[in-house]
Amino acid sequence: MPTKSHVITKDQSLFSFSELTTYKELFWMLAWRDFKIRYAQTFVGLLWAIIQPSFTILILYVVFGRFANVQTGAIPHVVYSTCGVMAWTYFAYVMTNAGSSIISAQAMVKKIYFPRIIIPLSKAVVGFIDMGITAVILIVLMLLFEVPVSGNIIYLPIFILGSIVAALSVGVLLSALTIRYRDFQYVIPFAVQLGLYITPTAYPAEFAIQRLPEWATVLYFLNPMAGIVEGYRWAILGTELPHIMSLWSVASMLVILIAALFYFKRIDGKIADYV
Amino acid sequence: MSDSNFAIEVEQLSKLYNLGSTNATLRESIAALFNKTSKKEESFWALKDVSFGVKTGESIGIIGKNGAGKSTLLKILSRITLPTEGRVTINGTVASLLEVGTGFHPELTGRENIYLNGSILGMARKEIQAKFDEIVAFSGIERFLDTPVKRYSSGMYVRLAFAVAAHLEPEILIVDEVLSVGDAEFQRKCLGKMGHVTSSGRTVLFVSHNMEAVRKMCSRTVWLEKGQIKMIGPSSEVIDAYLSELKENAETVRPGERSDREGSGVLRAQEIRFSNPEGTHLQSGKPMKVEIDYRGEGSEKLTCIATLGIHDVNGRRVGTLSTKLTRSLIDLGNGDTLTWEIPRLSLTPGKYFINIFLAHRTEADVIDWLQQAAAFEVMSASFHTESDEVYYEKDIVFIDHSFRVS
Repeated sequence: MPTKSHVITKDQSLFSFSELTTYKELFWMLAWRDFKIRYAQTFVGLLWAIIQPSFTILILYVVFGRFANVQTGAIPHVVYSTCGVMAWTYFAYVMTNAGSSIISAQAMVKKIYFPRIIIPLSKAVVGFIDMGITAVILIVLMLLFEVPVSGNIIYLPIFILGSIVAALSVGVLLSALTIRYRDFQYVIPFAVQLGLYITPTAYPAEFAIQRLPEWATVLYFLNPMAGIVEGYRWAILGTELPHIMSLWSVASMLVILIAALFYFKRIDGKIADYV
Repeated sequence: MSDSNFAIEVEQLSKLYNLGSTNATLRESIAALFNKTSKKEESFWALKDVSFGVKTGESIGIIGKNGAGKSTLLKILSRITLPTEGRVTINGTVASLLEVGTGFHPELTGRENIYLNGSILGMARKEIQAKFDEIVAFSGIERFLDTPVKRYSSGMYVRLAFAVAAHLEPEILIVDEVLSVGDAEFQRKCLGKMGHVTSSGRTVLFVSHNMEAVRKMCSRTVWLEKGQIKMIGPSSEVIDAYLSELKENAETVRPGERSDREGSGVLRAQEIRFSNPEGTHLQSGKPMKVEIDYRGEGSEKLTCIATLGIHDVNGRRVGTLSTKLTRSLIDLGNGDTLTWEIPRLSLTPGKYFINIFLAHRTEADVIDWLQQAAAFEVMSASFHTESDEVYYEKDIVFIDHSFRVS
């Protein structure tokens, strides 16, 4: 049964980590529901999930690889940017869906209790489908261009974990902010659009270091994905180790994580009053 | 501190709602930072100093007019929202049913929704698996188990939803008026299930407008009014007192002045008139007219569902007039009068109340809902014959009939 003996007062937070574990099944259920709705029901859903990254990769190749002639060393540009897209796609998907998740689930939130944070958190699972599809494209391209897999691949899980934490931190923060201030709904698509360019998906982060003043470089790396995308490429393609500036990405991610948890906890008991 | 005999102990519970601040935009919030006196927030106590206890195994009813605080109390007990003051101590596992079918997804099949809804309600996967066949049998939708629920009729949808909910087995069950949905047979099935739950030693807190159901299932009842407890005690006493006040209220207060209403309020019933062609004395067997004047903001007309429910003095629903019954919608605006016409009134002499309900396109989007909006009295029993006043006192309605010997 969901709720054991307890006391309800104004100070009692509705949100506790120990309680989250008892809602494990609901977490997987919600993730499974998203998966079902997005892919399993329609052929178009799956097709769309393939078309979307394919076109992104193509356009990034044409614009950055051909027009701007971005040099990516020994690795062909298309492979280089596909690896970046793989990391970015996951982040963008999870951030977008987690960010709007509570508003979309308001009917549920008003009628039944469960730790609300499960709703944005459950979005982290389905994002892996999109990531997996891009990963398949990457493998095909690597075989085609005969790019070997780096031995650093054993460190990939660290960066995957990094992208989960980064995406959920931003997503949870946005989901809470969106409940309080509806305006944030418009921030999400804007952030995704901008993010693709200010994240080193289709070009090396080295560009930012070389061509921007130092303060702007710090700003550039405050994007938590800046360091993570470089990490993916280091782990998979064996490019250079992420620049020391990437520590700013880590710091920024931790700050967002703490802010997200803090703000969510603050607003948690009032969610049903706001939506 | 808390007595372990109590399943639910509510102590000085209060909840303050700020009107208007809930949908604040970022701009307004930033403006408010710089301008402390910008706008006074309107606030009201949805609950104020409410205290009561529910013993383990007891069934308690919560009654009261719209806006009395019933929903707020349920939301706090269900942990959907937090109180502003006071505390609630709960001993035992709780499941709350404020709605059936929470989280149902139209694209998913019946089978998938059973699992989804079950886990949202707090059932473990294994538990759902074990009860799966029972749930399906109760719902009676076996044949459509693998059909997306978007293709279900609304009746099938509700049956499946209730079937899942009915198989929850908490120690404490908190139920809102979920039983007001579905057809009569299904409602009876639901009430039967509820009765079974109450008699199986579980604690039940039941909120309803259905006085008969409360009287039948709950030993004690709490009457809430304006966020406070007006009366608490044995169900029959509390319900009788409540009904007699409603009667008085419906007779003396004009609909336009009532504040115990629900809905957006874009249109509000201002005045209600009853008449038959001969005057105001309503007679069985004669035509009857109910006219409701609506006032509101703006000149736009809204496409509405309108319903008029007739109840007897015991709070029992006698009949319903509704645009929904003919699957039609009406266009209603400020200054319009909605007239209901009954060609031949078939109620026996006595006092009746009407509930009036107006919603925008779907019943979920309530515009104005007023219970016990007005009372009327049927004076004479001239249904079967013009002059004869003979009728069976226990009857509520006259039934047109004939007889013959062959």
